[in-house]
Amino acid sequence: MVYLRLVWALAAKDLRTELRTKERISAMGAFAVLVGVLFNFAIDPTLVRAQDIAAGLIWMTIIFGGMLGMGRTFQLEEEDGALTGILQSPIPLDGLYLGKVLANTVLLGLVVGLVFFVFGLFFRLQVEGNVWALVGVVGLGLIGFVGVTTLFSAMASRTTMGESLLPVLVFPLLVPVIIYGVSGTARLFVGRPIAEVSGNLRMLGAFAIAATLVGAWLFRFVIEE
Amino acid sequence: MTTPAPAILEGLELVRQFGVQRAVDRVSLALVPGRVLGIFGPNGAGKTTLLKMLAGGLRITSGRLLVDGHPVEDLDRSWRRRIGVVSHQSFLYRHLTVTENLHFFGRLYGLRDLAVRIPERLDRVGLSDRAGEPVRSLSRGLRQRVALARALLHDPDVVLLDEPFTGLDAHAAEVLRGQLKILKDGSRAVVLVTHNLTDGFALSDEVVIQVRGRFAVRVDRDQVPNDFARYYRDVVEGAA
Amino acid sequence: MLGVLGILGVLLVHWMVFFWVPTEATMGVVQRIFYIHVPAAWVAFLAFGIVALCGGMYLWLGDDRLDMAAEAAAEGGMVFATIMITSGPLWGKIAWGTYWTWEPRLTLTLLLWFIYLGYFLVRRSTSNPEQGKKFSAVVGIVGVLDIPLIHISVSWLRSLHPQPVVIKPDGPSLDPAMLTTLMTGLLAFTILFFGLFLARYGVSQLRHAAEVRAAPAPVG
Repeated sequence: MVYLRLVWALAAKDLRTELRTKERISAMGAFAVLVGVLFNFAIDPTLVRAQDIAAGLIWMTIIFGGMLGMGRTFQLEEEDGALTGILQSPIPLDGLYLGKVLANTVLLGLVVGLVFFVFGLFFRLQVEGNVWALVGVVGLGLIGFVGVTTLFSAMASRTTMGESLLPVLVFPLLVPVIIYGVSGTARLFVGRPIAEVSGNLRMLGAFAIAATLVGAWLFRFVIEE
Repeated sequence: MTTPAPAILEGLELVRQFGVQRAVDRVSLALVPGRVLGIFGPNGAGKTTLLKMLAGGLRITSGRLLVDGHPVEDLDRSWRRRIGVVSHQSFLYRHLTVTENLHFFGRLYGLRDLAVRIPERLDRVGLSDRAGEPVRSLSRGLRQRVALARALLHDPDVVLLDEPFTGLDAHAAEVLRGQLKILKDGSRAVVLVTHNLTDGFALSDEVVIQVRGRFAVRVDRDQVPNDFARYYRDVVEGAA
Repeated sequence: MLGVLGILGVLLVHWMVFFWVPTEATMGVVQRIFYIHVPAAWVAFLAFGIVALCGGMYLWLGDDRLDMAAEAAAEGGMVFATIMITSGPLWGKIAWGTYWTWEPRLTLTLLLWFIYLGYFLVRRSTSNPEQGKKFSAVVGIVGVLDIPLIHISVSWLRSLHPQPVVIKPDGPSLDPAMLTTLMTGLLAFTILFFGLFLARYGVSQLRHAAEVRAAPAPVG
């Protein structure tokens, strides 16, 4: 219980700060909308229907836009050395990781909502299948994505290459999320029954759980100095 | 002579290595309640590194750190609850208010009575009227007071101060001096790392001069001549 | 010594590939690259397993030698992964006219190559070398856990979209001569890898000893 409260305190601090500065959310949000606009120009409607490739476009937008925000996960702490203050406190380090994952998931969840809204609007998309299943697919994929990227973000911020290293480290690892996430999303767009995405949900769920557990365990090796 | 109280925090042959460089080289020290240990030394001597190791924020390459006689490897992270740190960095979040910052760190240290504790502590450092302001609107001197309140919020037995006078104007330095005197009269173990030889020496019970990772000198204050600046220069040049 | 044995083994395999093993019925002569292709991939993945294992133990025990072993294995592994993903397209061009195909083994090795890249980038770009070692160990562990998941997901995706049979799976239906050649290839490459590994590890040890000697003596 105390542990969960700590995780929440950490996440709340990040979210509260983000609420005041709106730095990451505006960068990710603007990215999402602009990508939607660019895709509109990039897709020739005489050759391909946007609806056919929407699932893939949406996921790529989420991943790329998410990277923008996630790279800054630990930057907030660098300014006045607050991370040192946290490391010197008695909190368990996996708690710090989970707090960051929670905050990132919430932030990215907002961005995901925006992406679906924008793409739905621009490309006249409709979800014919079960909306909750879609939420499940995207939500679980999101958690897996955030779990992996938060761990590596802590690493990247301590290298000379910084944020630009993050995609190189993370993209190969996200292949399962992309595969199951996109196919699940595409199927739900065209109204396939839940049974056809249950496998996707299972795999995404497994990935999400594995990512957060492994991340929580390995985080201490990454964050300690 | 009364027997000294048992050490709360003790370091034995502490070493911190970065690659093949030794920032801290076989340092031993004992922090005893009611005593102020002043650590002086030129830039790059390893003072900050040593302090970070004592605070539990930097891993020790070799040597042992003991809390109440127990090696820290045998303990979980909770021993850090007994330590409070004031650094030249404020450790604060600029976009959060003073109260929000203290609330956050209070939670990290497992404190429950924050609604009562925080206003009381802010009052002690004279910041009650600025409690609701974001930290970025405060001057450096005021931020340092918040940092001090943060460090003492959980009533630590050991207080580590790393260059606390840095960047403070005369008034702020005076306030800090006052706060440190109050600390000194308590039952805590205090470590003060500073370039400010005058204030540092005045506040110390024990004096250490660190040069290139090692303790060149470690003596009681009354064994040091009154012209501390001169003594310090001699030691540093001698160890060069 | 292992290295010499390995090279001899590789030469033997090449002879077998070009002169001895019978031609595969459906794909013809080009199929022979299979005997280089598969062993290279095998070694690349074996090496990564070693990287992850040594990396994990390094995080646990802190012994620098484990880290040196992981690095040596990683360098060898990356070499073989490179061999695999460069030979793949060559074969593909000749066999079916396309340079690239998302065949599971090739895809997986390509991703593995990038994970190796991440391993080295993270090692070399930290200001504190100790951190670099820890970070790369974490990359190894996460990689080794993720690779099975990647494999499952990629295979699943391909099962949805049947593609022309790329490489006949190396199952028991292989002609005995082919099997022998394949096994020889696996053995030869593995031996060569370990030869390289030991040589590289030896270099690391020497360098480490030199660094320790060159470090400034502690004062006093």
